[in-house]
Amino acid sequence: MKKHRIRLTVNGDESEVTVESRMLLSDLIRHQLKLTGTHVGCEQGVCGACTVIIDGRPQRSCLMLAVQVDGSTVETVEGVADGCIEHVTQVALHEQHGLQCGFCTPGIVMSLVAAGRSGMDAATAKRQVLDGHLCRCTGYVNIRAAIDAAWETVDGEPGSNNPDSGR
Amino acid sequence: MRPRHVGQRVPKVNDYGPLHGTGCYVDDIEHPNMLHAAIVRSPVAHGLLTSFDTQPLEEGASVFGPERLRTHIHAELPVLWRVGNQEQFSTPVVDEHLRYVGQPIGVAVAGSRYLAEDTAEAVDLTIDQLDPVVDIDQAMAPDAPLLYPESGTNVIATFEVGDTAKHDDTVFAAADRVLRTRLRIGRVHGLSLEGRGIVAIPGPRGKLTIHTSTQAPHGVRDSVCEVLGLRQSDVRVIAPDVGGAFGLKDHVYEDELMVMIAALELNRPVKWIEDRFESLLSTTHARDDIHEVAVAFDNDGTLKGLRVDGRRNVGARLAVFGGGPLFTTFGLVPGPYRWESVRGVGRLVATTTMSTGAYRGFGQTQAALIRERAVDLVARELDIDPVELREMNMISADELPYQMRTLMKFDNGDYPAALRRASELITGAPDPPDDDRVRGIGYCSYVQMAGIGPSDANEAIGIQIGGFESATIRVEPDGSVRVATGASPHGQGLETTIPQLVADELGIDLNSIELTHGDTDTTPYSAYGTAASRSIAVGGGAAVVASQRLAESIRRVAAEMLEANPADIELVGGRATVAGTHVSVTIADVARRAWQGFRLPEGSNPGLVESFCYEPASATFSYATHACRVAVDTHTGVVEVEEYVVVHDCGTIVNPMIVEGQIHGGVAQGLGAALLEEVVHDDQGQPLSSTLLDYHVPISASMPEIRIEHLEIPSPFTPGGMKGMGEGGTNGSYAAIVNAVCAALPEVDWTDLTTPLSPNRIWGVLHRQS
Repeated sequence: MKKHRIRLTVNGDESEVTVESRMLLSDLIRHQLKLTGTHVGCEQGVCGACTVIIDGRPQRSCLMLAVQVDGSTVETVEGVADGCIEHVTQVALHEQHGLQCGFCTPGIVMSLVAAGRSGMDAATAKRQVLDGHLCRCTGYVNIRAAIDAAWETVDGEPGSNNPDSGR
Repeated sequence: MRPRHVGQRVPKVNDYGPLHGTGCYVDDIEHPNMLHAAIVRSPVAHGLLTSFDTQPLEEGASVFGPERLRTHIHAELPVLWRVGNQEQFSTPVVDEHLRYVGQPIGVAVAGSRYLAEDTAEAVDLTIDQLDPVVDIDQAMAPDAPLLYPESGTNVIATFEVGDTAKHDDTVFAAADRVLRTRLRIGRVHGLSLEGRGIVAIPGPRGKLTIHTSTQAPHGVRDSVCEVLGLRQSDVRVIAPDVGGAFGLKDHVYEDELMVMIAALELNRPVKWIEDRFESLLSTTHARDDIHEVAVAFDNDGTLKGLRVDGRRNVGARLAVFGGGPLFTTFGLVPGPYRWESVRGVGRLVATTTMSTGAYRGFGQTQAALIRERAVDLVARELDIDPVELREMNMISADELPYQMRTLMKFDNGDYPAALRRASELITGAPDPPDDDRVRGIGYCSYVQMAGIGPSDANEAIGIQIGGFESATIRVEPDGSVRVATGASPHGQGLETTIPQLVADELGIDLNSIELTHGDTDTTPYSAYGTAASRSIAVGGGAAVVASQRLAESIRRVAAEMLEANPADIELVGGRATVAGTHVSVTIADVARRAWQGFRLPEGSNPGLVESFCYEPASATFSYATHACRVAVDTHTGVVEVEEYVVVHDCGTIVNPMIVEGQIHGGVAQGLGAALLEEVVHDDQGQPLSSTLLDYHVPISASMPEIRIEHLEIPSPFTPGGMKGMGEGGTNGSYAAIVNAVCAALPEVDWTDLTTPLSPNRIWGVLHRQS
């Protein structure tokens, strides 16, 4: 199996790794870079649990090959909090009971972080972004409540991740 | 002492891991020297495996076929619920008779999952194909191919629940009218977002450590030891963070045992993680029943008799709880109404499909549909308002406790209050938008058996495991507290709610209490783990009693230190105080003294530990009425649930936020089964719903907001007053939504109804009718 040397920036750290042609990005992130916060729920792009931010855009890491991110910047759930300051979406999901088993949560956090940065309003985030994720525990009700709370916390711009808003 | 923590909306204490990527689910576990497994599965629904040939293997790869696996197998997998004339009390782990697509045949092991899959794919199977039987009617036909030829039939068991045929006939004969309906309950998949998975780590001297995504670590250990002939004290089963279970992860599966065998023989840690395709094929499906229902009633609307002839497609072999779900359907089918007769006759029918096993509701979801459809049909027949008909037949608060005609006694509550309030809320909901969709309101009133037990009651109905739960509570020398429970939470929030209970009994802060769970080496025995809505009612009850006993010990030691009478010591705010004074010591002072063993009261042992095994006096029964309004687009068959209300009682509410979250999630799963979710096979038994593009679970857009109101009438049995409620949401929403769709389309003859009421099915029904 052919191997490739690729360079990428993950959560601000530059790394250079060797991967097989067929390796999925989700497997690179989880099993080679050991960032196991990114979860894999279907390997098919349906459930959204594996969502990470690649060059500023939320993407399903299970639908990409590792070699495709050569030269890219990848953000995962491990890099969302700013030191000990949690992102407003993390705070809101916790306070609104927006997660139960937590398996889908990292993907939702990443999509919401990207949505916030893009200037999307809460209603659109609830309608369009959340519909790209499957959650089997919460019935989505409290995730929607968390989106409202997060957007309210930062006056409609959760992308700013105002440190004062964290815990 | 006023409760301070119970009843509070405390956010879950264990959210940090998933929110920050620092959790530890089974696929996150790494081990030096670890190998990876892929399972070799049957590609056919029915056949005889005549050879399992391994190609020359890559360096470092191994394959275990049936013969090699069998050398490690000492016994079959036990079936833990027995009904009627059932003769299958165990099922094979390895079997050359292939009975469903996805049946595990062998396991390939290599240095990475990629290589393990390559190795598994290279295995050459020779199979003599047999004719498949996919559905109940085919399997019961006179010339049907037999899954177990030696038994001469595909009907694995027949059993009865409730009144005798004679009594039932008498009640039906005396009633003014009888209506009949057939309900076909579609096959569904519980679909936890995390699939199953296991890391098996062999140790020295025959030890085996198993990290597995399970809801029942002790139950897994028991079966593993039975099958592999290992000693229970040598096997440690650990449930790490578990990404949902819903009944699917209540036992050890054949493929997981194969991975353990590979690990033991190779003497290396082996990891296997189920992918979604495998999950949809070979993690237990659920339901797939056909119920012939007859309801007898008088012209004034009095319900008299309910008769159910139920057949369940159990798939290729009995799941661990066998006929339990169908038994439970009959057991709870009376619901909150007075009946003169209730009788269920059940048959378990084998087909060449995956087993159908436990899934949230465990048959009670079907019970609710059977009864609530019957009630709506009667209301319509007599032109009585469905709410009025329910109320006139409903067991009133002062009739409780009430002996059901099928199982045990309902405990307490006010069923009509929930119905009336739900009716007020749904009829007062905002008017729908003016569009060309048709609308209907549907109701479901149910009583849920939660907190199942006691052990003798379990045995009496054929369950092979006890109905108790245990807790061990230890106050550490610094006054912090560790509670170990046999329950095994995986999203239910027991890490928060059990400490809430303990904090109030000990008068200490919630933050000083930690829950230990999910590890057979460090937690007290529980055959159930977390299942059957039992954990807070039975597991929580155990924690309450253990902490009450611990509080007594604390009072005794504190009284000695303060030269007071133990009866005068109050535990509040982390201190033991002589009532009515400011004389006190901290719990930490008491704990230090207890663990030093210095100058303890006469008769006291050193240390501060209590263990309690709580055998409940009775099962507990939560109840609710769900009501909803749906809009049906008759052009497309698409149903939207627009308004949804739940009025329920689960006894003392430890944490309203968590209770509401359980309701939300349960409603979503019932909605999925009512409208979207269906496991489908073709006529050859090939699964057609093997991806999440084909098996539709609800998305956010599917889910309405849910208005919840709590009645809170404490259980007369549980220490702490909890009744349990985890499955209720599913039980209520499935029937309420189906009833609402039926109400929206009154022109349709719904006396032969199949779920899910998916768009294509509704469109088909409307098309046929016109």
